[in-house]
Amino acid sequence: MHHHQAVPSSPDGTGTLALVGHPNVGKSVLFHRLTGAYVNVSNYPGTTVEVARAGARFDRASSLLDTPGVLALPARSDDERATMRALLSENLKLVIQVGDAKNLRRTLNLTALLAELGVPLVMALNMSDEARARGVTVDAQALSEALETPVVATVATGGEGIAALSATLAHARPPAPLLHYDEESEKTISTIAALLAAHAPHPHLSARGLAILLLGRDGEVENWLAAQPKGGEILARVAELAPTDGRDSLPARLARERGRAAEALARTVTEQAPASGQSLSLRIGQIAVHPLWGWPLLLLVLLAVYFFVGDFGASTLVGLLEEDFFGEILNPAVTDFVRTHIAPEWLADMLVGEYGLWTMGMTYALALILPIVTTFFLVFGVLEDSGYFTRLSVISNRAFAAIGLNGRAVLPMVLGLGCVTMATLTTRILHTQRERLIATFLLALAIPCSAQLGVVFGLLGSFSFQAAAIWSACIVLVLLLTGWLAARLVKGRRVPLVTELPPMRLPVPGNVLKKTGGRLKWYLLEVIPLFLIGTFIMFVLDCLGVLPWIIETGKLLVTGWLGLPPEASAAFVMGFLRRDFGATGLFAIGGQLDTIQAVVGMVTITLFVPCIASVMIVIKEHGMRIATLMLVLIMPTAFLVGGLLNHFLRLFS
Amino acid sequence: MTAHTERIRLTGTPTGRNVHLAEFGEEIDPLQREQLHAYGLYAPQTLTVLQQRPMTVVLCEHMELALEHAVAQHIWVEGE
Repeated sequence: MHHHQAVPSSPDGTGTLALVGHPNVGKSVLFHRLTGAYVNVSNYPGTTVEVARAGARFDRASSLLDTPGVLALPARSDDERATMRALLSENLKLVIQVGDAKNLRRTLNLTALLAELGVPLVMALNMSDEARARGVTVDAQALSEALETPVVATVATGGEGIAALSATLAHARPPAPLLHYDEESEKTISTIAALLAAHAPHPHLSARGLAILLLGRDGEVENWLAAQPKGGEILARVAELAPTDGRDSLPARLARERGRAAEALARTVTEQAPASGQSLSLRIGQIAVHPLWGWPLLLLVLLAVYFFVGDFGASTLVGLLEEDFFGEILNPAVTDFVRTHIAPEWLADMLVGEYGLWTMGMTYALALILPIVTTFFLVFGVLEDSGYFTRLSVISNRAFAAIGLNGRAVLPMVLGLGCVTMATLTTRILHTQRERLIATFLLALAIPCSAQLGVVFGLLGSFSFQAAAIWSACIVLVLLLTGWLAARLVKGRRVPLVTELPPMRLPVPGNVLKKTGGRLKWYLLEVIPLFLIGTFIMFVLDCLGVLPWIIETGKLLVTGWLGLPPEASAAFVMGFLRRDFGATGLFAIGGQLDTIQAVVGMVTITLFVPCIASVMIVIKEHGMRIATLMLVLIMPTAFLVGGLLNHFLRLFS
Repeated sequence: MTAHTERIRLTGTPTGRNVHLAEFGEEIDPLQREQLHAYGLYAPQTLTVLQQRPMTVVLCEHMELALEHAVAQHIWVEGE
């Protein structure tokens, strides 16, 4: 069961165990080990965008919660906010902090804050194998004594230490505080904590911990407090006592003191053997981001992704499923059954007609998109488990900087060549709303999906190489220009990329398959309803006679401005449903087109609105207002570019 | 930034060199500074510069961290 953002408390009040930790420390793998449930595990900071919950194997009365990775608390990013929301709203029994054994200092930095919340805590010191390989030894016993709570060394991927971890949960205690802040800060913390205890006590979290978070300006704790009866007054007091301006503001001082305390404790319990040269993993990782050798490797990876997803998934598997199985066997049988057994013709049409829920909605979802996303999720899983994913973002960062994004956007953009709908969903891995908005807009405008690419090159290739080259140059130019413009028009500033590069590892096939399974389940639950709603809207528009009207009205624009034959209008309406259908519509009348018409038609249909499923996803991710705004911008842009290209080419032909 | 002759920008540090983090420049905004702290970048943490292009990559204890030049150029370091 997945929960997005807000996490309701357990209905039976039995309590929740929350896994909390940095991104990429094996939290989700541990979740799977402790529950046996599928989850979108991640080797890429930010991929676990939802909070997953499942029954714990070792304690059937409780549920286990996998929270998104936190770089630090107080919460700043969306992921950190989601985790903080979970801590605030759950009936917390205990927190299992998943730490990185080879980065104990960073792990304890988070412990320093979690320890103040007054919730029992157990530490799973994960990736102990990687720590050993680097000559790092952590004295778990000494650390446990210092924290006054159990610490267990684990290797979640191999199942090492899981039984010991389950067994120690019963002994969890609120950890001993790692530090006393400086005298002045302590006074301020005590003042706010006293106000919270008196006027807005939290059922599970300590007033002191919440006071520290408030003084660190945690937005989620502020929201929680604002909803309490006297919360406004306490918030005003916080603002007065802890102004955030100035280099050495109270939030910065608190964070620095936690950092120092974490470092001190880490030094006392960690031993580092002398370095024995660079490991193979480190060397491979360095080649992947090498300014020279990184590029050929990147090209190879992108080609592999494209051939596996765009060619094998979108062509071979889709051909087998859509044309052979659905087209030849399943759909004729379903249509026959419905027409025979369902009397009202309109109802039968709604199910198996031209815009039928089965013949269009389910067929698109299962026969067209499912093979593409399955192959993509497999590749995605391999890339993220190998640690190459983040290295891609380093290599491509400069190119994305030109269009207001950073290297993290490479995957959604590449995926867009497979399926724009899926790619739009994947923009969730981007850290800010601004980046998600720009990437979504560029995907909707200028990234052709694989099915459409096939049709475009099929038609233009039959004219000349120059025709295909003009189309490609035009699309790249529009992508760069609109990206450049969007980067200047969308509010907010570009966030420079700072990212951890997780060690390169050989992907574990079982983990990749588990992730793919979990993601496909999510896909089927989330996307199929959207496909059905979209199809139903098209069915209603068709019944009301709106579709033929749109085709008739559009003829002026299509023949006058774009210089295309009137029949091309229909292609644009079909293009709204699916871009490749629109391109196919042009392909079908290809015999009536000259070279310029073919290029202009294909450029316009490529830039034209994304398919209806993509629009539904944009609505879901960004809301109706943004989706409408995008369509209002994209449609005129497509016709403007198409018309200008038409007149430009005719001028020089 | 205090004037200190031995201090150089992280972006100006040759590959392979070990340096100590000295301080963050004023140009790094508080949120980014918090992010860097969260990654464990505090003075006088030892960093090994692994590469400078296309991004600055440093080894901080056992963690590789890639920093865009817009950030790395405002991180001041001192030679070991």
